[in-house]
Amino acid sequence: MKRRTFVGAVGGSAVAGIAGCLTRDGENGDPANDGDPEPDDLDLEGELQVATYETMVDGEGTAGPWLKEAFEKEYPDAELTWTVPNNAINDYIDRERQNADIDADVYLGANVDDLVRIDDTLDDGGLLRKLNVDRIDNAERIRDGLEMGDPHGRVLPYDTGYICLVYDETVVDEPETLDDLTEPAYEDALLAQNAQSADSGQAFLLWTIDAYGEDGYLDYWRALDENGVRILDSWDESYTASYMNGERPMVVSYSTDQVFANEYDYDMSRHQIAFPNDQGYANPEGMGIFEGTSELDLAYEFLNFALSSESQAVIAQRNVQFPAVESEYVDLDEEFDQYAHVPPEAVTIGYDDLRGNLNGWVEDWAREFAGQ
Amino acid sequence: MSRPERSERGAGLRRRSATARRWLERRALALTALATAAVLAVMLYFPVGVVFVNAVFDDGTATLAFFRAVLTDPFYFGVLADVFAEPLAVRTHLESLVGWLTAVSITVSLEYPLPGIPLPVPWPSFELPAFRKGLFGFTAYQAALSTIASLALGLPAAYVLANYEFRGRRTLRSLTILPFVLPGIMVAVGFYAMFGRTGTLNQLLAIGGLGPFPFIEWNPLAIVIVAHAFYNAPLVARVTVAAWESVDVRAGETARSLGASPRRAFRDIVVPQLLPAVMTGALLTFIFTFMTFPIVLALGGLQLATVEVWIYDRVRQLAYAEAATLAILETVLSLALTYAYLRYESARSGLARGATAPSRTPLFPDLRTALSPRRLAIIGYGLVTVVVFVGPMASLVLGSVTDGSGFTLRHYAFLLERQLEGADYQTLPWIAIRNSLVFGVATLVVAVPMGVVVSVVTVRAGRGGAIVDTLAMLPLAVSGVVFGIGLLQGLVFGIPLPGGWRFQVTGAVAIVAAHAVAAYPFVTRNVSPLLANLDPAMVESARALGASRYRALRDVELPLVASGIVAGAAFAFAISIGEFSSTVILASGSEAYTMPVAVERYLGRRSGPAIAMGTVLLGVTAASFVVVDRVGGRFER
Repeated sequence: MKRRTFVGAVGGSAVAGIAGCLTRDGENGDPANDGDPEPDDLDLEGELQVATYETMVDGEGTAGPWLKEAFEKEYPDAELTWTVPNNAINDYIDRERQNADIDADVYLGANVDDLVRIDDTLDDGGLLRKLNVDRIDNAERIRDGLEMGDPHGRVLPYDTGYICLVYDETVVDEPETLDDLTEPAYEDALLAQNAQSADSGQAFLLWTIDAYGEDGYLDYWRALDENGVRILDSWDESYTASYMNGERPMVVSYSTDQVFANEYDYDMSRHQIAFPNDQGYANPEGMGIFEGTSELDLAYEFLNFALSSESQAVIAQRNVQFPAVESEYVDLDEEFDQYAHVPPEAVTIGYDDLRGNLNGWVEDWAREFAGQ
Repeated sequence: MSRPERSERGAGLRRRSATARRWLERRALALTALATAAVLAVMLYFPVGVVFVNAVFDDGTATLAFFRAVLTDPFYFGVLADVFAEPLAVRTHLESLVGWLTAVSITVSLEYPLPGIPLPVPWPSFELPAFRKGLFGFTAYQAALSTIASLALGLPAAYVLANYEFRGRRTLRSLTILPFVLPGIMVAVGFYAMFGRTGTLNQLLAIGGLGPFPFIEWNPLAIVIVAHAFYNAPLVARVTVAAWESVDVRAGETARSLGASPRRAFRDIVVPQLLPAVMTGALLTFIFTFMTFPIVLALGGLQLATVEVWIYDRVRQLAYAEAATLAILETVLSLALTYAYLRYESARSGLARGATAPSRTPLFPDLRTALSPRRLAIIGYGLVTVVVFVGPMASLVLGSVTDGSGFTLRHYAFLLERQLEGADYQTLPWIAIRNSLVFGVATLVVAVPMGVVVSVVTVRAGRGGAIVDTLAMLPLAVSGVVFGIGLLQGLVFGIPLPGGWRFQVTGAVAIVAAHAVAAYPFVTRNVSPLLANLDPAMVESARALGASRYRALRDVELPLVASGIVAGAAFAFAISIGEFSSTVILASGSEAYTMPVAVERYLGRRSGPAIAMGTVLLGVTAASFVVVDRVGGRFER
């Protein structure tokens, strides 16, 4: 899909989403009018509360502090406050259900499955506003293939990661296909994560559903099981605790792994990237504006700001994910370009297919393994 | 004002204050009990109730449909699901049970249990025909095995600590509960670093030309059980040491003088006095490992998932009805077990107890004694503890000063840099350390009176007391995940009140209250067995001589059960330091985070900073345990 068409799709989704919007903010008539018309003078004063995840603000060399400083420099009357909810978007879904206050204005870090969960739990198209993409000039820069398929046009991607396999080339060869992983050569080799609790685990599960279909994926996992796949709780446990301690030669992880390996002088032979089927599962991360925000103008400015060239470079490099904009709009360090790998083909299961299916897929899969 | 007037006023004040003090003294127990009940109502029963309501109400109508669905699902209850589905078809169920029993067989075969070593051993194999345990069955199974392992590792430690004198014994006793405070991810990292394919143990074995062995993958269930023992054997040891140190040795001496062998005297005199404590340790371990969540998945993988894992998943999917149903069933099971134990405990009360503590013999007085079989067994046990307890923790510390390429201090540099330059929305190490210590002490101050009051109220009340006591154990029996959700929905989001008000409880006070609620059962369970063993005549004499119930408690009973109180206080402190799930919810958006929360927050693509923070957690906690025990030791005899 071309960039223009993508922007058109987000705008056009206003048509599809209009039913949800009608009940929400009482707009009617013109489908092009998405409820957030640009006012004549922007109110760029006040405190903008941005909800995000831990590693954006609290890890090593995080992007959060930079974003805050740069944003406040550009909007001197504004203050950006970070907030980290414990259960990510769930906290806000819960608050909405209980009619408790939501202080946050912007949510940074929504996956497609978050949108699905919102719509499965709350009213369709709930919690976040349908964006008026015309107010976000930099939205035009977004790469093709990162569209998150939300019929309610609530989020724009700000970066993306690719799930792939990281392996030790001194122990195993690069697997060419997903089928290879069920072969004797990869017996007791693979570490994966629990799709119930880990994003990377869920992404890998969805990848296999994309490859083998709804009816075939459990058979594939049974074959993996027979070949000794090990499914640990979280990415931290499988990667940090197990893989890094040499327990197994292959782990489901991110295609940016070598960036760290390079930075920390790890042995590069243990950090080889494999894209079986020449694919990687794309996990674009989206940002959106809460329905009840009191800082609408600042929120739109923030979304635009996050897609600016400078922000994109910082987010990509400090968050160690790929930028969401076309390469001509972002200038990355040579080392990042060298060590961050993009799969030949990015696969992802979109909103429409996940809606109503995701929970069942994951539960069936988990019962397969946990059933005693 | 003239002098006589002033002294008159002073005397009046003194009189009034004396009256007030007497009034307070008379009502001290009642007031503390009332305060305990209030804290429990707000911090425990209300939030848990908020979630549990989900299990029995569907759109406002009461229903048992959720229970029926779970109970009859073979995934949850295995073969029992059929029984729940058709409870009246007794004949069918009996037939299938008989059919199963007849298929049981025992055979003996030659096996080679030690890989790589050609040593044939006759191995009885117990052929159980497959039956489906279901998630609950498996959870109970692994909890039972974990309890046995914790007793096996914990009791020898209690024996050594209570009976032998050696350099550093007191410090070691203080440090026994150290593993208890480690966040799950730290234990996982430590275990992989110790037992992994390239771990410390394999490196040591490689010196002897052995290995490498894939210890963790050989038998994931076994490693999970060892990890559970890592957490809970210290608990067993600590509770048992406390009881052992207050064993009355005079009875044993009398028995010996009447001709009983040491073994006989031990079995008839010491064992009965220890048994309640040992059983307490076993009960707590079983409940804890029944509720286990991160450790099973981190070390064992999804194949070893427990009920709590499913509760967590249901909560993540916002399927609260199913989560609450599972949690209620879990709670009912734990409470039933607790009740059974407490009936047993109260049936054992009333042993007269004096004040003569056992003396300790030197562990290694000379080389000859050191080579005696008993001392050699202790040395062997010491080696096991080094591998199981010291190994993972030492590997953790080692991990904080190394990365893929060798020795480095960059992880600590991160902590220092964050402390000096971190923004206020970031997690600063010193604030985490300070909060942990402040909350720990505050929890101790709140939880010890709570726990003692519950003990006093229930210990002599017989059957009714056992019921109250069982309910007072609720904090241990409720799923941590569910408790967290209850806190979030009930206290953090707040409950709307008439007039536009909202009832909300968050921040430091809420955290201390939540910690105290989680911790007081440990005080109760450490104190109750000792209190129950006291001769009631002592309290009755004190009361007959005019002492208030509070005075009798303070001056007669407490000094005699001081070792239990100190052990309970140490646990209260440890619980507070290690508590994660409710702290992280109540601390959200405030500066009330603790060290375990900081560890989790520092986890990123690379875990170095988190491991460094975990090492700081270990160091700070170790130091404070020693202090808590030393201060507490002054109250012991």
